[in-house]
This record gives sequence, structure tokens and C-alpha cells, in this order.
Amino acid sequence: MREFRYERAADPAAAVALLAAAPDGAFLGGGTNLVDLMKLGVATPDVLVDVRELTSREVADLPDGGLRIGAGVPNADLAADRRVRERFPVLAQALLAGASGQLRNRATTGGNLLQRTRCGYFTDVTKPCNKRSPGSGCGALEGVHRNHAILGQTIAGSDDPATCVTTHPSDMAVAMVALDAVVRVLGPDGEREIPIAELHRLPGSDPSRDTTLRHGELVTAIDVPALGMPSRYRKVRDRASFAFALVSVAAALDVRDGVVRDVRLALGGVAHKPWRASAAEYVLRGMPATEASFAAAVESELEAATPLRDNAFKVPMARNVVVRTLLDLAGRDTERELA
Amino acid sequence: MRGRSGHSGPSVSTDAGTRPATTATTTPGRIGDSPLRPDGTLKVTGEFAYASDLWHDDMVWGVTLRSPHPHARIRGIDITEALTVPGVTAVLTADDVPGENAFGLEHADQPVLAVEFVRYEGEPVALVAADHPETARRAAARIRVEYEVLPAVTDPRHAMDDDAPAVHRPGNLVRHLQLRRGDQSVTAPVVVSLDVEVGMQDQAFLGPESGLAVPAEDGGVDLYVATQWLHVDQRQMCLALGMPPEKVRLHLAGVGGAFGGREDLSVHVHASLLALRTGKPVKMSYSREESFFGHVHRHPAWLTYEFGAERDGTLVYARARVLLDGGAYASSTAAVVGNAGTLGLGPYRIPNVAVDAYGVFTNNPPCGAMRGFGCVQAAFAHEALMDELADAVGLDPVTVRQRNGMREGDRNITGQLIDSAAPVAELLQIVADLPLPPQRDADADLRALPGSVGNTTHGEGVVRGVGYAVTYKNIGFSEGFDDYSTARVRLEMTGGEAVATVHTAAAEVGQGLITVEQQICRTELGVERVVVHPKNTAVGSGGSTSASRQTYVTGGAVQAACVAVRDVVLARAAASLGREVSQLRLDGEKIVGASGEVLTGLAEVLGEDAVEETREYRHRPTHAIDPETGQGDAHVQFAFSAHRAVVDVDVELGLVKVVALDTAQDVGKAINPDAVVGQIHGGSAQGMGLALMEEIVVTDGHVRNPSFTDYLIPTILDMPPMQVKVLEYADPHAPYGVRGVGEPPTISSGPAVAAAVRAACGRPLRRVPIRPEHITGT
Repeated sequence: MREFRYERAADPAAAVALLAAAPDGAFLGGGTNLVDLMKLGVATPDVLVDVRELTSREVADLPDGGLRIGAGVPNADLAADRRVRERFPVLAQALLAGASGQLRNRATTGGNLLQRTRCGYFTDVTKPCNKRSPGSGCGALEGVHRNHAILGQTIAGSDDPATCVTTHPSDMAVAMVALDAVVRVLGPDGEREIPIAELHRLPGSDPSRDTTLRHGELVTAIDVPALGMPSRYRKVRDRASFAFALVSVAAALDVRDGVVRDVRLALGGVAHKPWRASAAEYVLRGMPATEASFAAAVESELEAATPLRDNAFKVPMARNVVVRTLLDLAGRDTERELA
Repeated sequence: MRGRSGHSGPSVSTDAGTRPATTATTTPGRIGDSPLRPDGTLKVTGEFAYASDLWHDDMVWGVTLRSPHPHARIRGIDITEALTVPGVTAVLTADDVPGENAFGLEHADQPVLAVEFVRYEGEPVALVAADHPETARRAAARIRVEYEVLPAVTDPRHAMDDDAPAVHRPGNLVRHLQLRRGDQSVTAPVVVSLDVEVGMQDQAFLGPESGLAVPAEDGGVDLYVATQWLHVDQRQMCLALGMPPEKVRLHLAGVGGAFGGREDLSVHVHASLLALRTGKPVKMSYSREESFFGHVHRHPAWLTYEFGAERDGTLVYARARVLLDGGAYASSTAAVVGNAGTLGLGPYRIPNVAVDAYGVFTNNPPCGAMRGFGCVQAAFAHEALMDELADAVGLDPVTVRQRNGMREGDRNITGQLIDSAAPVAELLQIVADLPLPPQRDADADLRALPGSVGNTTHGEGVVRGVGYAVTYKNIGFSEGFDDYSTARVRLEMTGGEAVATVHTAAAEVGQGLITVEQQICRTELGVERVVVHPKNTAVGSGGSTSASRQTYVTGGAVQAACVAVRDVVLARAAASLGREVSQLRLDGEKIVGASGEVLTGLAEVLGEDAVEETREYRHRPTHAIDPETGQGDAHVQFAFSAHRAVVDVDVELGLVKVVALDTAQDVGKAINPDAVVGQIHGGSAQGMGLALMEEIVVTDGHVRNPSFTDYLIPTILDMPPMQVKVLEYADPHAPYGVRGVGEPPTISSGPAVAAAVRAACGRPLRRVPIRPEHITGT
């Protein structure tokens, strides 16, 4: 592990100022991901600015029925919050599907959004990885990639500096994307709001960047607007618990008189970012709430899939779990569920 | 407290091992009871001191620099920069090994520190001691090793090709076991065959490798370490350190699981070298990641099997080819090949047999001992093929196995007489007759469904399947090995109370041996208070805590030592009482007569004296097998178990919920029924893990998932409640009639689960672990 300085600040602005002056520094939240990566030599910050006690641990009501979630709220607390469970079951379920009880006690809402990938080449400093070591190539493209992305990868050859085929590991972020959350950040230039769909990015030509955050920007809160639809999170994994998603789905569905009035759909475990299934949503709005419609919608989304040698199974897996989730939601009475 | 919620206690159907009335009948905690284990509460409350908790106020920390390459030539090692790091007290390389730079369980082919070549990713190259582990790690990172990367053998299926690079001279074959029995040209009206592949399983013990080496005034070293066999460690350490055994003293530290993964040396020589160099106690403790490189794994296997049978399912012949990837060093590969070859067709009567089992060197991680030892891999093949045979002849899986099941008096495929119980048909019948779990109800708890709390199904796409498997396993060391154990037992009065002290070097690794030792002493000596002396090399070898052998072999030694002590005590009593020794026994700290009448107290007989006796116990000898035919009495005892698995499979998503995993096993005599059931629970979970999720992923010689985040072992949510039925058909050749318990459940549970998943999804599933994409065929 590289030696580092540990800093605490009086308030968020001071923390931002400290980090802005440290180009190789990092914010420390719950540390459940960053500290592991430091032990492995994957993350090598020279300064850690501890923000765990600085950002809000409050979940506050917004006037529209939404919630403002402080970045410091532990995952366990957020999952247990009565308002979250009642208004946004998809979010509570996603949180509980992630990690273990111990980790959820420690991990923060802001930090959860910013988890790094679990790609085995990213976490092994002796192997090429464009995300960890830009320009070194991608070990996963021809290597072990069973649990890697099927959508939105950059596939340009193992030695190409743009290649990256990994996934984003968070469950919570998938739900947040389906919920059209807004991420509030404080940076050296002040505050700004980032629609969550614009926070995480695809690898494009620069796999080293997971998000559009600029150095020194601190997530202070996440706003979740009112939903008004029943919602669910489903997660497929290799064992019953304590495992990352092979495929997960966050869905919300508003069906009136047998017709889909509105739908939100996001997929986890399939791309470099939580994947908003906009094509499927577009196809589905106004269609009868039937298995055929759901299947056609998700298939239209998955037409873009470019699976790798060993992960083509994720395409039918994603299709099947989405159809099931939508059927489950369609079977529920929207009015009664929200009453 | 025998019954647990959701688990049935053992049922005792026979007890031919009952001793004549020479032993205690009133003293609590005797054999057949389930006294609380002395380490149990400490472990549950987190107070038990494991090897990683070892501490010495003056100690420094040792770390290991390991090879990043599967195969490379070492051009040079420059330690200069590492030595300049403040706090560093020693940096050692192969040049600093005073004795022979080699160790190994069966063949000393593995360097303590690499010389000229590294042959696998993770091979130790250099050592650093420093005042803090992080200081030592940083110094190790400053050691400059110049490697010339060499072509690596990473596909064992091509390790014996003419053009394969040699991992060792003269070639890459560790052992070829050839077995031929009966008519080699026989044909049969029904022929079934298959190819099976088994992935690399890890022991996944929870306590990583740890030890503390303390330099002694006599120039020797005391090593406190978590291990499975102190004396075989000592022998190898003496060779490497160039010291006699009296200067290399080992003490068992708290062991957090073993399962075969602690049979080979880990920190032993390294910590001792650093301690002897620095003159300070040296602690070494692997991280979880390093642990994956610090011990051997279960051999991945490629198996090709063919059965020929009559139309009624009676086996006519079997042909099998087994290939095991031994990795870079021999470890116990030859013995694993021995098991896979001699036992690899399962507990069946097969008149005509041809088996070829191979273990090969590659530049993959070294593989060696793991619970089930060669039988686990083979069972996936012979049990899948038995189901194929059942289909081919129109029998159900239980009947076809019963029809071919081995019986007492049969000869197995090496020609060895099965001279005690072989209840194959009965075990199968027991599990077949156990109540099946109820059908899934519409409002089933998510935890009872495939995908569990991932909320992936509420019953959609879920199909139930049932599968059976039966296996047998050799107990104890085989093929002519001089397998014995030593026990020293002392009986004395302390503070007015009779106290027995039992001293063996047999490692307690969590299986409950210390409780068994106490129970035997209570039974034979009639005293309740039994102190288990710390395990160390100050007493003779206890042999290995492996091959399910300790209750048998060390149990036999403790019994023998107790009997010797008792003989002395009773002779004294007989003299003072004027009675025949044969009319006396020890019970409840008293000397009692034939009908239990108290004649005198133990205190009166012992006085201030302590009676101490040491005995060795050997089981019946085994023999090498014929090199051409594989025939011979290779094994001393066989243990049998059967499993029935019931699974719910989500055939659309490929997820499995094991709903029931019920088992029957013959244990000869349940010395400690709770511990027996505990072993069966744990072994069954480990077998299920291999069937469904556990695999070290290795590509091009590199381990890709060295963490418990990425190497998946079953959680409690993955494990169903079990019905466990225990038979006790005494083995007349074994102490108390015991039969080894620990391994059989690991062997039969996985194939039963695989069979059940096959039954549910209708796919052949020829590779384990079975993954969702195999179940869905995508």
C-alpha cells in the first residue's frame, strides 16, 4: 500500500478545497471499496480526505413526495427507511440485494454510486487494464469475462487503449437510474446537479473514467423524485447472497386499463454503467401490458447487445428476468399498491 | 442437545462395537455421548485464539515475495534496496537456506525459496522480516527480481505431449496408475459412456495460514503453527534448516479449518529461517489473497468413463481414464492418483475393469490433498454414468445402484476383500425412503426459492428434480504406508480429584478430535476430568489429520495408552484388595467390582503417584498395488455414504435452490454423535459447493479469483436443512468399531446435487461447478 496522508475537514467546502489541491487524492466515505483497492495497490491516493462525518446522514422529504438522501446515509439505514420502503420499494430491495449486512452498515449512499468495477483484471496490478492503467490494454476481452458487459462496451482489440468490457457493480445505482435520481455535488466551482443518467459513463475512448465527476467534486446528496408507480428490483447471481449481479433489473410500471401508461427500466450487470433501457421503455409505452409486449420491448433493447465469447447467456437471462419483473408488476393494481 | 431445528439427530441401528464391561458405565462424557467440545463456546464467542492471533512482544513480521509468472527463469535477485528500508531486519533468498532447499509431502521437489526457476504464479522467491507487516511488504516490493519468462504448460491435457515444455526433468508425468482386472475383451449388450470435467476447488478454510517462529537458546526454533501433521512438517523443516528434530520443535496453534490445505508446508520454514537469522520471534500470517497462493487445491479433473452392462443393468465391465492436473509440484498428487484409480469406479461390483489414472505436472497452481482426495472427482463421473445406465436399461437410479452395489465379502476392483460392512443397498434405501420435502407452496418464502432474496422468481419457471449418489472412500493412509499414531496418557490425583491427561500430536483442526480423546479417556479410565495436553512434537507422531483417520488411528492409540494405564492401576488395586484384576474396572473415580460395587477409591490406589503410559497404534498393514494390474490390498478400511438431493431449478434463469440434501452413512460407531452429524453437515455443504459454485478460475497459469468475493462458497441461504441417518455397523478391525466419517459426505453430496439438477432441467451437465448458463443451455 502506498503511504498516504489522512485529512479531515471542518465542512464539505473545506474538504473540497483540500482535495482540489491534491490531484492524486481521494475522498474517503465508508471505505468499503476504496480501502480494498488500496490494499491491492489498485488505488494509490496520496491523500485521503475523510468525508464520512461531513456529508448529511439525513433522509429528508421533498415537496413533491420525493426524498433528498444525504450522501453519508449508510446503505443499511436507507434500506430500512420507512419512506423508502413505501415509496421506492425498488430502491430498498436493490440496497438489500447488495453486499452483506456488515458492509451495508458501513457503506454510504454517495460511495455506493462511485464503486469501481469488480473486473479481475482491474483488481490485479500485474495484468493489463485500461481502466486502472490507461493504455495497458484489456485482459478481459480475451480472458475471463463471464460476468462482463454485453452492452455498450468498447471492443477494439486487447491491446487497444480504448477497450473495456467491464460492468458497474452497484445494485443501488441501478435503482437510482430507474428512479431518475439527481445527484447533487459540491465542487471547487460551487454546486451543481447531475441527472444520474449523466453521472455514470460508458468506456468510450477513455475507460479510466467511471463517471463525469470532476476532480474535487463531492457528492453531497441524491434527490429521488416522486414515482407514482409500483416498482421492483430483481437480481440474478451465482449464489443466494453475497454475490454481484450476473443481471439485475430495476423496474417500475404504471398500467391502467390493461395498457402501459408509464414504465421505468434499468439493467445492472450488463454494462459499464447502470443501463437505462430507454428503447424498451419507448416501445412499451401505450402497449397492452402482456407478456408479448414485455418480451418485444426488452428484445428491442437487447438487439444492441454485443456479448463476448463467454457471456452470451446474459442476453436471454436479461430478457427473462425483465419479462418476469414486468409481469409481476403488471399483476399488481397500481391504485391499490400506491394507496 | 442432539436435535437441532430442521435436522434430525442420528439414529442408531446397530451397536456391534459395544465393549465388554471393562470400561466405565457411569462417568459422564463417555464414547457415544456428545459432550460439549471445549473449544466450542470460545469459537462461537470469538475468544478462541487462532494461529493468526499469535503474539510475542518482541516479534517482527515476515512476508513472502512471490512469483508473478507461471514459468520463468530467475536471472538475478537484487535485495540491496529492500535492505535499506528502515525497520527491515532481514531479507532472505535461496542462498540463505542452510539445509537442503527442498520440501514436499511425498517427494522433496519444491524449493523453500525459488532457485533458477519459478514454476507457478505465487511461488515463494524471497522473504523479508521487518518491525511492521506493511514495512515488510514495502521492502519486498523493492526486491528486484529479473525474470526471463518461459513458455508455460497450462493445459494438463497437453502436458504429456512431445512438444510440451518440461516443468521438471525428466517429464511431466507424476504418476500413471494402470489397473486391469478380468476379461479385457469382454463386450456387453448395453454400453454407456461420458466425459466429465471437474473444476479446481479450494479448501476455503476460514483461518489463513499463520505461524510464529521463536528462536531458542539452544540454537533451535520453536514453531507455533496451524497445520494437519506436526511431525511430517518437522521432518521437512529439519531437512531445509539442516537441524536435528530435537532442535525443531513444533506446537499446534489454533487451526481455523484445514480440509487437506494444511498438509503441505506454508510459513513453516520461512518463518523459522527469518527467526534464526534475526534472533527474534517472527510472525507470518497470509492475507486471504495470499492464502489462495499459499496452499494446494483440489485437482481439476478430466474423466472419460464407459460402462458395459447386461440388459437388466448388471455391470459387465468398466473402462475409465482419469486425468488430474497436479500443478507445478508433486505434493500428494501420486496418492490422489492412487485413490482416483483404485476407488474411481465407486462402490460397485464390476468383474472386468480397465482404469488408467494420470497425474501430470503443469505450471498451474500445485494441487494436492483435499477432503475426498481423488474420490470426489471420480464420483461425479461414475454417478453420472450410473444414471445414464439407469436410463438405458429402464431402471430408476436407486435400483440400478442397489443391483450393482458392493456387499461385504465382495472383492473391489483391486481384488481386495471387503471384510466389513458394505451397506450400499441399505444406505440407498434409507435415503430413498426418507420423507420428501413438501411441494413448493404458492406463497413460498423467497429464501426457499431459486435466486433466493434476489427475488428472481415467485415460482415461475421452477422445476423440481431429485438425484441420488452413493460412494465409498478409503480411511487412513494406503498403499503400504506405515500409518500409526502415538498417545501418552497420565492418571493422577490433583486437588483431591482424579485427572487424566492425554497427550498426542494429532492435530485438532476443528473436527472435534480433542473431545474424542477426552471421551475415550473417560470411558477407559472412569474419570470425568480429562486434560488434553497442547499438541506438540514432544510426543511421538499422531500421523496426519486427514484421510478421515484420526478417530480411528489416534483414537486407537489413546485407547491403547489408557488400557496400559488402567492395567497398572488395576494391578495395584488387585494386589491391595486381594482380588483378580479381571474382576475389577474403573468407573466414577472408583475401583469397582464386576457388578459395579465400589471396592475402593482411585485416590487410595494412586496416592501421590502418577501413572503414565505411551503407546503407538497401527492399523492393519496395507500393500502396494501391482504396477501392471493395479491389484492388491491397497486400503485398510472403506466408508460408505449415500445422498439424495432435491432441487428446485429455475430453468429460465439457470438458478438452483437445493431444497433437501438428505444422507445416510455408516460410521461403524458414533463416538460423538453430534460431531458425526456436524462432519456430515459440513462435508455435504462442501460437496454441494463444488457441484454448484466453487471454482478457482485459472487462465494461462494465473488465478483469476483469489478472494472470497470472487471465489464463492455456499452461504447458509444456499444450504438446506438435512435429514442425517447414521448407521453403526462396527468394523471388527477398528477401535470401538469406528469407521472414518469426515470425507464420504463430501464425495456423495455433489454428484447427488448434480443429478438432481440434471433431472430438473433435462440437460447432461458434464461439468462442475454447474453454472446458470449450463442449465439454460445459453
